[in-house]
Amino acid sequence: MASLTSWRCLVRRLSLLKFASLQPIIPLSSAPTSFILEPSKTYENALGSHTISSRAFCSRPSNLNDAQGPAPIDYSSILQEDEFHKFADATIEDLQEKLEEYGDCVQIDSFDIDYGNHVLTLKLGDLGTYVMNKQTPNRQIWLSSPVSGPSRFDWDRSDEAWVYSRTKANLIELLESELEQLCGKPISLS
Amino acid sequence: MLRSSCKKFLGLGFQKPNNNQTFQQSSSLLVRLYHERVVDHYNNPRNVGSFDKSDPTVGTGLVGAPACGDVMKLQIKVDDVTGKITDACFKTFGCGSAIASSSVATEWVKGRQMEDVVSIKNTEIAKHLSLPPVKLHCSMLAEDAIKAAVKDYEAKRAKLGISAPADVAAPLP
Repeated sequence: MASLTSWRCLVRRLSLLKFASLQPIIPLSSAPTSFILEPSKTYENALGSHTISSRAFCSRPSNLNDAQGPAPIDYSSILQEDEFHKFADATIEDLQEKLEEYGDCVQIDSFDIDYGNHVLTLKLGDLGTYVMNKQTPNRQIWLSSPVSGPSRFDWDRSDEAWVYSRTKANLIELLESELEQLCGKPISLS
Repeated sequence: MLRSSCKKFLGLGFQKPNNNQTFQQSSSLLVRLYHERVVDHYNNPRNVGSFDKSDPTVGTGLVGAPACGDVMKLQIKVDDVTGKITDACFKTFGCGSAIASSSVATEWVKGRQMEDVVSIKNTEIAKHLSLPPVKLHCSMLAEDAIKAAVKDYEAKRAKLGISAPADVAAPLP
């Protein structure tokens, strides 16, 4: 049972630890190169203000390139929570309306759209199911697609769009091309 | 006790449909059950544990965040000479799908070359576990954990000034 005790320690420690803006721990999708956990500034998240100690669990990559390593992302400076909600809710609700109209045009059995608890679920019968939701601590929109799998979109201020940093995919364009591919009818979601 | 506290997070209580529910509601409850492979990995997780982080042959990948609901720590033990992963272990805080994804990941990396395991895709894990759409993110996290562990090992080697797995004579600083 030693593993039990140590596992509970891990969980307890995690719940007590404070969060900093952590580039590696949250968005590997946004920062593919670094796995350093470094406490920087605190930021308010859903659990209250927390910072994380880098000692307990993290893997520390080589110190040789510290100067060249990307800085930890402070999400509160990139996007405030209320701003994030504003953009994300607007995007998802807008998508919901357009997808409902699209559903009226295409002939797909068991086409269904559900928007509840800020989670948008688009069922396309045998073609698969899309699930889109907000991931507030990361300031991201998460999408699960039957075509491209899971992706995590960050808000790009300059483009005013949601972009998946690993593939540079734009959320709206991705959905447009996939839906056209799946359902056979083009759709404009912008 | 671990199991009961896990159940709180996992939400694995199988709901018994009451008599008032329609057949449609019952069938939608059935759809939400975890696939048997996920349940198997939850009940019999493979390779739960921890290696010594400071061991130069160990790579540690720590991904996710409690705020998001998922944290995975995946560790690999690599043979310095051959570059083969001789052992792997994990600890995951999260849902049943996350636990199963990381458990599967540790099974799949064992005995493989380090360079090979970075090609393990989240889609393979998701397919193996029949993960529903909303849980695909767990499989991606497991893929990220593998890559993070490999990266950590390589970074450790670089720090020790060892460029190739074959060079075992380099002294530790």
